Amino acid sequence: MKLNYLILGLTASTLFGQGTTPDTLLKPPKDSWPAYHGDYSGRRHSGLTQINPQNVRGLTLAWAYQTGANSQIKASPILVDGVIYFSTPDNVYAVDARSGHQVWHYTYPQNKGFHIGSRGVSMYGDWLYFMTPDAHLVCLNAKDGTVRWNVVVADSARGYWTSMSPLIIRNHVLVGVSGDFDNLTGFLKSIDPETGKTQWRWDSTPPSGTPNATTGGMTWMTGTYDPESDTVYWGTGNPTPVLNGDVRPGDDPDTCSIVAIDPNTGKKKWAFQPSPHDTHDWDAVEIPVLVDADFKGSPRKMLMQASRNGYFFVLDRLTGQNLLTTTFGPVNWSTGVDAKGQPIPNKAKDPAQDGRLIAPDEGGLTNYRSPSYDPQTGLFIVSAHPSYGVYFTKPADGAFGWAGADYGVWGKGVLEAIDYQTGKIRWTHDIGPNGSGAGVLTTESGLTFTGDGQGSVLALRTSDGKTLWHAGQGQGMQSSPITYELDGRQYVLTSGGGVMFAWALPE
Amino acid sequence: MRSIWGVIAGLLAISSICAQQAAPARPIQTFPAEQVKAGESLFVQQCAFCHGRDTGGGEDGPDLTRSKLVADDVNGNLIGNVVRNGRNNMPRFTVSDSELASLGAFIHTQKNIADAQNGQRKGVDPSDLTTGNIEKGKQYFNGTGKCVQCHSPSGDLAGVATRNPGLRLMQRMMYPRGAKAKMTVTLPSGETFSGTRAYEDEFTVALRDASGRYRSWPAAKVTVKVDDPAEAHVELLARYTDDDIHNLITYLSTLK
Repeated sequence: MKLNYLILGLTASTLFGQGTTPDTLLKPPKDSWPAYHGDYSGRRHSGLTQINPQNVRGLTLAWAYQTGANSQIKASPILVDGVIYFSTPDNVYAVDARSGHQVWHYTYPQNKGFHIGSRGVSMYGDWLYFMTPDAHLVCLNAKDGTVRWNVVVADSARGYWTSMSPLIIRNHVLVGVSGDFDNLTGFLKSIDPETGKTQWRWDSTPPSGTPNATTGGMTWMTGTYDPESDTVYWGTGNPTPVLNGDVRPGDDPDTCSIVAIDPNTGKKKWAFQPSPHDTHDWDAVEIPVLVDADFKGSPRKMLMQASRNGYFFVLDRLTGQNLLTTTFGPVNWSTGVDAKGQPIPNKAKDPAQDGRLIAPDEGGLTNYRSPSYDPQTGLFIVSAHPSYGVYFTKPADGAFGWAGADYGVWGKGVLEAIDYQTGKIRWTHDIGPNGSGAGVLTTESGLTFTGDGQGSVLALRTSDGKTLWHAGQGQGMQSSPITYELDGRQYVLTSGGGVMFAWALPE
Repeated sequence: MRSIWGVIAGLLAISSICAQQAAPARPIQTFPAEQVKAGESLFVQQCAFCHGRDTGGGEDGPDLTRSKLVADDVNGNLIGNVVRNGRNNMPRFTVSDSELASLGAFIHTQKNIADAQNGQRKGVDPSDLTTGNIEKGKQYFNGTGKCVQCHSPSGDLAGVATRNPGLRLMQRMMYPRGAKAKMTVTLPSGETFSGTRAYEDEFTVALRDASGRYRSWPAAKVTVKVDDPAEAHVELLARYTDDDIHNLITYLSTLK
């Protein structure tokens, strides 16, 4: 059996020694993790079973790659043809997935953009796509890291920056932008992978200066894709000005929203708004996870999101119709849920001159770190952050950019396993004070991998959350784990600080 | 009205940021323009996301123009330690001495500009917070809040508002970050160790004993008892109304 796997793995690598293809992105071979979420669904679930609850106790270090740099790794690595690619701001690394030795390292020229994080590169054929702090998209040759072209996605002088990993669908490279410190229009752009030319652009908000209209709605996390209905699902960020909502009355449509988009045209099919008229910086960019399963007895094509504002949503992804809305931790800012399943903000909990105590805090009940959906147990597993913050705004703070101040009061990290049909939390597992930046990976053998807030990487039993294995990495994990199998050996990749760790069973 | 004021205030803030040479309100530290510019460039790249481009606060990071540490800093002697070692949720950064000096120059210059803003200064002023009722705050302290079970206005809280002005008092009232917890560890042999909690996770516990020595054990092999006085503050977070908070802070602000 092991030998068969070995031959299969080698064959796959030899045959597909051509980067990614539309087929491998649709159905990733087990010796690959070709895109941010692995596959298009955003479930971050792997079919691999070599590492299982019985043997995970023996998991050991296969290799560690040290960037030796200041930046923490916040990227989800990708793996194609035996080479791992990941990024930090201004840097792309290519590393041998078997040994951890460096193949090449690309450095982008110094620039003035926000160097807050880089969530990874994406691949089309033999080309890599990398977004920079000054909001450019750079196309690199995956073989040697040389630059093929470099295009401007947004004007960084106006306050845009980029950090996300593009989503590649056929010949569309979908890129989003960041920029909360100015009143800017959020947008999603489709770029031609060969030429760098823009194919279409979808704006989440009207141009800056439109009377009584919002700006914002940034698009800074990688969306998901349903090939059957040919629909992209993308989360949008908060409206701007951020904490002062008076100058943008109403719901501020398409901000803090989950939008369904046609990848061929950029036309919106539907939108659902987790936070109408947000005044707490709760981007709804958390991964829209696509699941085909029963809901209350009927098969449904669903979209699930554990949102930064503290609500867990289940939607019918074909129509945007709400199936379930529930909280997954302390939430004190709404007066209830409307007929569409959207929370109703409580005006009394808007930021104020003397401060308002809000749950969750600005970092949210969860955030960019990926959750995982485990099909065997029907559990949606998310790294949560029960928390309180205090929010301020006053006339002197103005109506531009942040327009107020907010401070975290208290928070902790808890891994939560949510039953998607009821919203009930089946188990919790404390992961330390303050919270963790690590995402979640589940595997078909019944394991859950994540990191706690104090520098340990954990393997838990998915059915009940019991710890089966752990290792200290020296610094908290700020990325989401991946797994792959090469030469018959399964690896799990995690990061801590500027180091990438590969874990495997002893040879 | 409010929105018009907001726009005007915003424009004032922007123009004052551009005017790097704003007149100082009191004796201040000044720096060469080139150094301030270099510091600004570095600040925008690495610090602005959390602390704001103007150092006045951004995503959760403190307003550095109102920071006591910045106020007490001379030529980066205190800022340097925080930048190089990190603090609370802030990661550590590797910076050269000249980079650090330029960061300090930019932060101090921004503080000088902010301090010169009279009346229309952005951010949280101590007077913004005390909108409650002193008597009701005192009642909450002695009654519903049960603060009196651990604290005394003439004991540990005497002068608390002087030591912790404004926002800092409010933050510490809601959750005293860094408050020391007592820990007792009992080994299988029955031997016990007591001290302040130095570390605790699922796998390892550690305390600092009376002599200051750090000791750690595998969590699974010992029995651990923790007395964390800050936990009572966490329980209140779910029960406070915003009025309770403002009454309480208004009362505590009188303890000077």
